[in-house]
Amino acid sequence: MNDGPMNKLLLVDDEPDILRVLSISLKADGYDVRTAPGGEEALAIFSTERPDIVITDIKMPGMNGIEVLREVKKIDQETEVIIITGHGDIDAAIEALKYGASDFINKPVRDEALSIALKRAREKIDIKQQLKEYTVGLEHRITAATREVRRKSNFQSKLILSSNDGIVATDKDLSVVIYNPGAECIFGYAARDVIERMRLKDLFTSNITHLFMSAMDADNGAKEIPWQETMVLDCKGESIPVRFSGSVLHEKGRKMGSVAFFQDLREIKRLERELLKAERLAAVGQTVAGLSHGLKNILHGLKGGSYLVDLGIKKNDTKKLKSGWDMIKRNIGRTSELVLDLLTYCKEREPELEDCSPNGIANDVCELMLQKARENQVDIVKDFDPSIGMVSMDPRTLHSALLNLMTNAIDACLFDKETDKSWQVVLKTIREDEKSLRFDVADNGAGMSEEVKEKLFTSFFSTKGHRGTGLGLMVTRKLVEEQGGQISVTSKPDIGTTFTIRLPLRAPEQQ
Amino acid sequence: MGKKVLVVDDDPDVRLFNVTVLEEHGYTPLVATNGEEGKNLARQEKPDLVILDVLMPRESGIRLYRELKTDRTLKHIPVIMLSGIAEKSFLRSQKVLAEFGDKEVPEPEAYLEKPVEAEELAATIQKVLG
Repeated sequence: MNDGPMNKLLLVDDEPDILRVLSISLKADGYDVRTAPGGEEALAIFSTERPDIVITDIKMPGMNGIEVLREVKKIDQETEVIIITGHGDIDAAIEALKYGASDFINKPVRDEALSIALKRAREKIDIKQQLKEYTVGLEHRITAATREVRRKSNFQSKLILSSNDGIVATDKDLSVVIYNPGAECIFGYAARDVIERMRLKDLFTSNITHLFMSAMDADNGAKEIPWQETMVLDCKGESIPVRFSGSVLHEKGRKMGSVAFFQDLREIKRLERELLKAERLAAVGQTVAGLSHGLKNILHGLKGGSYLVDLGIKKNDTKKLKSGWDMIKRNIGRTSELVLDLLTYCKEREPELEDCSPNGIANDVCELMLQKARENQVDIVKDFDPSIGMVSMDPRTLHSALLNLMTNAIDACLFDKETDKSWQVVLKTIREDEKSLRFDVADNGAGMSEEVKEKLFTSFFSTKGHRGTGLGLMVTRKLVEEQGGQISVTSKPDIGTTFTIRLPLRAPEQQ
Repeated sequence: MGKKVLVVDDDPDVRLFNVTVLEEHGYTPLVATNGEEGKNLARQEKPDLVILDVLMPRESGIRLYRELKTDRTLKHIPVIMLSGIAEKSFLRSQKVLAEFGDKEVPEPEAYLEKPVEAEELAATIQKVLG
C-alpha cells in the first residue's frame, strides 16, 4: 500500500484506545507514527518532529482539533492535516475546511477510509514536492537568464550610449524608443524630449522617413537602407551633413521596429572645406599660368581691334571701323568677366539671405539666356514646381549658379558634333521635401567624357577654347557650397549632361 | 588672285584679324573654325599656307598640325602656329607625343605667340611663303 519513502505521521486523540489501535494499523502500513493525547502535546511534538501528516480528532478537552489545525498551519502551511469528525458534524467540517484541512474521516474510523485519506494526502505531498522542486529549478533558471539578459542589455546600452554614431531606434509604429548621446549631438534635441515623445517623421527629413516607411512596408523588399550621405536638420533648423544607414528590425519574421545610424560629417566637411580652400589657392596659382593664355587671347583681340579701327580710319571704311570697335568692346567684356570670376572665386563670402522666389529667379535666368539659345537653335524648356513659393536664400547665389549652368548647357549643344539633333535645355525646379530645393539643368548636347567630368570642379580647366575662363563651375560650386548646398553632375558623351544643385530650403522670414 | 592662306581658329576675333591682315596684303583667305573643318578645307583647297591656333575645342590644333604634317599630299604646306601657348610648351608637347611612339613631325615653319602685331604677322607670312 505504501510504496513511497516512509512518511512521518502525528496522530492526536484524547481516547487512548483509538490512539493505540490506529497507530498499530498505521505502523503496519509503513508510517513512522508519533502520538499525542491532546492539542498542547501535539503542537510540542509537531515543532520538534515536523511530521508531513497530522491526523487529529476534532473534539478534545483543552485545545480542540480545529485549534491544532490552525496552529500547525501557522507553523507549516504545507502540512497535510486530516480531521476525524463525529458522524454528521457538518459545521465543524466546514470550519476545518476554512482553515485548510486536507480531508475528513468520520468516526468510527475504518481502515479503508483512513488509508484512502492518507493516500490522497501523500499524493498531495508528492505533487507539492515536485512543484517545489520544479519551481526552485525554474527560479534558478530565471535568475540565470535574467542575469544574462541584463548583462547583454547592459553591454548593449553601454555600446549605444558610448557610440560616436548617432543611433535612433523606433518601435513598429515608428515612435522613437532609443536616442543616444551621439544622436543628441547631431539633432540637438535632448533625449527626454525625444524618447517616446517624437515619431520618426518629427526627427528625420522626409526623404529619410520615406526610406524607412517603404522599408517597413516592403514584405520582401529592401529591409536594409545602405550607407549614404545626406543632410538632416537639427533642432534649430540647421543642415547637418551626415552619413546614414538604417534597417528594419525583425523578430521571428515579425517587424519589431527600425534603427538608424548617423555619422556626423561636420568635422570631415570642415576639413574638406579647408582642403578646398587650399586647393583653391593652389588653383589660383595654376590659374595665373592658365590665365596667361586667356589674357593673351584678350590682348590679341584688343590689338586686332585697334588694327581694324586704324585701318578703318585710314581708308575711311566704316565697316572695318565698326567691326574693329566691336572687337575691342567684346574683349573689354571678356576682361571684366575674367576679373569678376577671379574675384568671386578668391573671396570668402558669407551668403546674404533674403526672402525671394526661386522660380522667379529661374525664370529670369531663362529670359536672359533666351536670345543666345535662339541664335543657336536651342529650345529652353521651363519646368517649375508650383509648390515652391517664397523662401529665404541668397538670390545672387542662385542667379549666378543657374546662369553659369544654363550657359554651359547651351554651349554643350553648340559643341555637339551632331547637326540634326533638336537641342533642348531643361531647367527644372523641384521641392524635394520641406528641407531641400533641387534645380536640374539638363541638356541633350555633346556630353562629357569621364576625364572631363573629373576635372570639372577641381582645376582650372576649360573645353571651350578661347571662350572659357575655366573658372565658371569652380565659382558655381563655391557659391553653392557656401549656402550649405551641393552640386553634382551626370553625363554621357553624345547624349547630354545634367547638373543638379541642391540648396537647403528655409522658410521666408516674413510669412 | 593672291596665294591661298587657310586660317584655322575658333576665336572669331582672331579670324577677323587674320583675314583682314591677309586681305590687306593681297592674299586670299580661307577660314575654318575648328580642326576638322580645317583638315577638310586643306584637303579640298590645297592652300599655300596654314595659320593655326594650338588650343581649340573639338579637335585641337596640335592634332591637326600632326595630321597635316603626316599627310603625303599636305605635308609640304608651310604652317604658322599662332597661339596663346608659349612656343616652348608647344614644342615640348610634340616631343612628348614623339616619345610615346607617335610619328616625329618637323617643327612648324614659324611660331607666333599672341598677341601679335599686324606687321609682324604680315612679315612672317611673307617670309614663310618666300
